[in-house]
Amino acid sequence: MKIAPLPMTVISGYLGAGKTTLINRLLSEDHGQKLLVMVNDFGSINIDEKLLASTEDDTLTLTNGCVCCTMGADLYIAIGKVLDRTPRPDHLIIEASGIADPVKIANAAKAEPDLSYGGIITVVDAQTIETLSTDVMIGAQINGQISAADLIVASKTTVLSQKMSQCIRALSGVELVVANATDSLAPLVLGSHFANPFPPHASGHPDYVSWSFQGNVVLSRRQLDHLLACRPTTMFRFKGIVQGPDETAWIVQVVGNQVEITPTTAREKTTVVAIGVHGNITTEEIKDWWSTCENGAH
Amino acid sequence: MSDITVFRARKIVTMDPNCPEATHVAVQNGHILSVGGADCGDQWGDVTHDDSLADTVLLPGFVEGHAHMMAGAIWQYAYAGFHDRVDPDGNLAQGFTDLNAVIQGLSDYAKGLPKDQPLVAWGFDPIFLPDERMNKSHLDQISTDRPVAILFSNFHLMCVNSKALELAGYDQGTNVEGVIKGPDDRPNGELQEMAAMFPLIRRLGIDFSNLSLRPDAIQHYAKVAKQCGVTTVTDLFSELTDEALETLLRTTGDDRYPVRLVPAMTAIGGTPTDVAKQALAYKAKSTDKLRLGAVKIMTDGSIQGWTARVKWPGYVGGQPNGLWNIAPDQIKALCREMHKSGVQMHIHVNGDEASEVVIDALAEAMREHAWPTHRHVLQHGQMMGVDQFRRCAELGLCVNLFVNHIWYFGDQHAALTIGEDRARRMDACQSALDAGVTLAIHSDAPVTPMGPLFTAWCAVNRITMSGRTLGEAQKISVQDAIKAITLGAAQTLKMDDEIGSIETGKRADFAVLDANPFDVDPLTLGDIKVLGTVLGGTLNLV
Repeated sequence: MKIAPLPMTVISGYLGAGKTTLINRLLSEDHGQKLLVMVNDFGSINIDEKLLASTEDDTLTLTNGCVCCTMGADLYIAIGKVLDRTPRPDHLIIEASGIADPVKIANAAKAEPDLSYGGIITVVDAQTIETLSTDVMIGAQINGQISAADLIVASKTTVLSQKMSQCIRALSGVELVVANATDSLAPLVLGSHFANPFPPHASGHPDYVSWSFQGNVVLSRRQLDHLLACRPTTMFRFKGIVQGPDETAWIVQVVGNQVEITPTTAREKTTVVAIGVHGNITTEEIKDWWSTCENGAH
Repeated sequence: MSDITVFRARKIVTMDPNCPEATHVAVQNGHILSVGGADCGDQWGDVTHDDSLADTVLLPGFVEGHAHMMAGAIWQYAYAGFHDRVDPDGNLAQGFTDLNAVIQGLSDYAKGLPKDQPLVAWGFDPIFLPDERMNKSHLDQISTDRPVAILFSNFHLMCVNSKALELAGYDQGTNVEGVIKGPDDRPNGELQEMAAMFPLIRRLGIDFSNLSLRPDAIQHYAKVAKQCGVTTVTDLFSELTDEALETLLRTTGDDRYPVRLVPAMTAIGGTPTDVAKQALAYKAKSTDKLRLGAVKIMTDGSIQGWTARVKWPGYVGGQPNGLWNIAPDQIKALCREMHKSGVQMHIHVNGDEASEVVIDALAEAMREHAWPTHRHVLQHGQMMGVDQFRRCAELGLCVNLFVNHIWYFGDQHAALTIGEDRARRMDACQSALDAGVTLAIHSDAPVTPMGPLFTAWCAVNRITMSGRTLGEAQKISVQDAIKAITLGAAQTLKMDDEIGSIETGKRADFAVLDANPFDVDPLTLGDIKVLGTVLGGTLNLV
């Protein structure tokens, strides 16, 4: 059987924006996924000694199964090597360098059949964004990172001032979360089936909304396309396997505006999960949308 | 004392003003013992006369200050370029001047390939072809059951046949930026940028890292150098690792290895402090044939790709300003740390805004830390004006200008990128010399073919492919051009105490030519035949 494509997420953001802090969080949050994180250098990767299983020249292995490695000069060769690994990780995360265009990297996930598009997460330093955004030397490239994002993570603040948010909103209308005010980032960044929806350190109400379904829904490709076209715009992630007619099935991967549908071998049931930002969407809205197909409305 | 060999030549052009010309050179222990007439070695003891070079002209071995090792191993793929080129074994690879020729040439090439091997070609550049743009239907004429992939000369694009599209899973349903579609809404075979090319690069096993730092790649590179009279060659973006270093030491350490190799380590990955530390650690491993310790820093993109960072008034077509590969803040941090640690930098700057940012960064670094003998080099420096050369002179910076561009892309620069005025003063060799800046000139092989005499021809004549002269005022003399491919380039590598001229005490590295560059019509400078090289007194004829 063909292996399911490996989701690849690109973490973008200017120097010092907080990409490494986000990566440190993803490596240590309880999401039950084996991540492979490729970083430019280990300089600021800061893993609790207790979580480190082994340390080699260019690879850190964690006790939770996550791996962090440096990518060397050629990112694409490094991605190729990840795809050749057995077993493959559950999710590949790439830290783009400070000035890089994340689209150029993320496009590889759209192009390569063995990868699936896991989104572009752009980390924005709330304190400096106004200045950087208008910088004559790098403003255009910084703004490009923001408008390319599927999810924006604001760092170095707990509350976004109106000016900060205006500055970001002028460039992008996608989901925006404040890192320091969010207990668990993994579900939004990874779209993970989390081991525990309420991590022990959480403040009681999660920062995200999640919904999942398992059942005997069967959709033709046309029906699936239509269903996805009508999805709530604030449903940030939606993924899973949808049964088609006559022993067919589809792997569906939705991140923000990006929809990927790839054929796969038929399974027992349709299994999907949806995630959105708390406050922007409710489980009821997701359920209502999904029920349009369950009810055979198509 | 070991043996003294006195080589006789028709003429020896020394580039040493104290003895500009000679007929004999005495060599001992791989070094030049003396230069002059037949008796030049007699003062030192018994000599053996060697007349095998008696009909040739000797120059100091040429120094290629900016090229890449893949220029050798890339020949494991078929050549599909417009211009004639010479492969590492000295065979002429005929250029293809229209699409039919490309199809015919590659079909012939495919006949020599095993049945299950994909056909991969490189060097294609549609800018020179009069025809419609290449698409899969052209390449399907070469083969429908063997994947065919033609890499463009800039390595940013490729065109593939239907079989290759199928292999990558590209079809009507594909909706990926860079997978270009035809009028029928199906992929037409053209793939733009690395992401779109990735599935094929991966499936066809095209591994660019294999084209460098492997024993055969290191050997092929030396062959390329030897073909064109180069005895010292840089590899200016070397992904050095401890393992690669071992391979380099082993391969170049062979007595028969015919060239001195100067890799500049890629300054990415790790903090600036780590990079500096690594460079210094490698420097300590240097040998007479492998010179380590310098780093290469990228800044902007290319002018012909509209990705160079240019100052006002920008690009003539109104394209947005180019892209930084690393941010100006990072450039500053790297410049500061390398300069402070005593690590020489070769810094890629194409556009004039990039060169300005780098000069500013270096000026700042120099205010903080004194290191008068740094000799950092601005590489390419294609749009630098008199003002920037003046500042380079003040700061002790060298330049290595990409003057081959005048021939290959000069017409395009005038018409399409930066316009007539600035194209006229591109790669401004005379301005650099007038300002007193140490000057080298280069090929950036494999971007353009390695060939210092051709590069010198470009600097002397500044003729473009359409036959016009671009920038009369920037033409330099034959003397200055030859210096720029010998002593000047050696100075940019801090090796001028050892190489770059034929004078007592230096290494016996010579280019063996069939004519004296100072005797021929300057318009034919590039046509002088290279017969081989001498490295450390050892003859390597082509």
